[in-house]
Amino acid sequence: MKLCRYGPGGHEKPGIIDSNGKLRDLSLIIDEIGPGRLEPRKLRALAAAVKVEALPLVEGHPRFGVPFTGTGSYIGIGLNYSDHAKEADLPIPDEPIIFNKATTSICGPYDDIVQPKNSKMLDWECELAVVIGARAQYVSEDDALKYVAGYCIANDVSERGFQFQSTQWKKGKSHDSFGPLGPWLVTTDEIPDPQALEMWLDVNGERMQKGTTRTMIFPVKKLVSYVSEYLTLLPGDVIATGTPPGVGMGIKPAPVYLKPGDVVTLSISGLGEQRQKVVPFPGP
Amino acid sequence: MKLCRYGNAGSEKAGLVDHAGRLRDLSGIVPDIGPNTLAPETLAKLAATQPESLLLVEGNPRIGVPVNGISKYIAIGLNYSDHAREANMRVPPEPIIFMKAISCLCGPNDDTLQPRNSSQLDWEVELAVVIGRKGLYVSEDEALDYVAGYCLANDVSERAFQLQSSQWDKGKGCDTFGPLGPWLVTTDEITNPQNLDMWLDVNGERMQSGNTSTMIFGVKHLVSYCSRYMTLSPGDVIATGTPPGVGLHKKPHPVYLKPGDIVTLGIAGLGQQRQKIIAPAA
Repeated sequence: MKLCRYGPGGHEKPGIIDSNGKLRDLSLIIDEIGPGRLEPRKLRALAAAVKVEALPLVEGHPRFGVPFTGTGSYIGIGLNYSDHAKEADLPIPDEPIIFNKATTSICGPYDDIVQPKNSKMLDWECELAVVIGARAQYVSEDDALKYVAGYCIANDVSERGFQFQSTQWKKGKSHDSFGPLGPWLVTTDEIPDPQALEMWLDVNGERMQKGTTRTMIFPVKKLVSYVSEYLTLLPGDVIATGTPPGVGMGIKPAPVYLKPGDVVTLSISGLGEQRQKVVPFPGP
Repeated sequence: MKLCRYGNAGSEKAGLVDHAGRLRDLSGIVPDIGPNTLAPETLAKLAATQPESLLLVEGNPRIGVPVNGISKYIAIGLNYSDHAREANMRVPPEPIIFMKAISCLCGPNDDTLQPRNSSQLDWEVELAVVIGRKGLYVSEDEALDYVAGYCLANDVSERAFQLQSSQWDKGKGCDTFGPLGPWLVTTDEITNPQNLDMWLDVNGERMQSGNTSTMIFGVKHLVSYCSRYMTLSPGDVIATGTPPGVGLHKKPHPVYLKPGDIVTLGIAGLGQQRQKIIAPAA
């Protein structure tokens, strides 16, 4: 299933994408796609119960929101692609590097990226996001995928000046609009192997990032298991699993950063596409 | 006004502590203390309630997190000049922001569960600021207008987890690492957050002793600063750093918590907490 939420910010309705890629209204079946709906067992029951092609088509081109609500923790993983580590000339970490993104950064997949005040080093990171479906604490790697509701695309938008001002990265990861998620929450039945997905990101139509989840240092099941040792994962929590080579900060001979008017597009196979326009912070 | 939530975890009710320190049932006025309760207008309405008109709560119920629905738990590293000196660390030029997982939040007297593989469990008494309204690019002058009140926090930390990588979050977000409360004390009772005595004992022995006057960055600055890097929402918490005396910096060698230890802590006007350390489940 490809689940989504569509409509103006704060007034989204649940939707589902049919086999032709068309958006259909799911609000007659469920009132919201939130933590209470994400348990894998409940998602399977929903998939069995819903006749997608019988649902009303949604007219026009509504905005897409975050595909689910109620994210308590948005965890990012630093430096998790071996080819990215090589590009950045950084040692491969012994263990996953965990940091938090503020949940207020979360936004729809096509919403504008608002460049913060005093930002000079606005950067992109195309990532596979794992969406937790069931409470997970000390789960084994073998069991880890049973706790996953599905996957979506994330752009882990980052301000490098803010990120590296202190030792702690959070400050450069958490502004409003730094967390586009979606367009869809794709349930695990459609992504049997999360380690075989192609991904790319363009800026103004030029290919900047290109990679595959095969080169992750720590795969999804390891990450879910590992993070669950350090905090209790709850339904709706998100783990963004790191980015492949090609971020602006690493471009040679000189870094390239985003500026107002730039358009970022990104995609992961099976998970759709995102598109964001960079805009200046409105107001003084 | 001292607001609180009491009852079993997950089914707490709104409470108010009266002038004599007695717990009263506020649930007839507001069903719960959540982000929407913290707006200045709503707090003003609650402040108009006569505490004596509320029923006394019998017995000694558990006290929960004083605010339900907290969406961000921000914390500040190395924010006391005397603590920086003790740790032999440079005073940071700007506040260091990190985040605790909201799933770590718990009541002020709930047990601290030592995580599996934990060998360096530590304490940090801190003044926590609770945000009352949405704030982005808030000036220092206006910052306190965005604060609903204050509470006591123990920023429980696992130093080995915290310092294993460059990012501290891993040692800060385990379940029960975020005792908050017992009360949310509104700003009318804490007119100057930069002159509060604070202490923490382990098994009755004084470990931390300090005063918020030695903060490097005061509450006003921290609220303003955080709001430059993320939008603050009602109910968000900022723990403002800890004074000297954490276990990591004990001389001649560090001292860490072990199962059976009792941690008690307090800040002037904000009440006390007490946690017992429990061994990890096998």
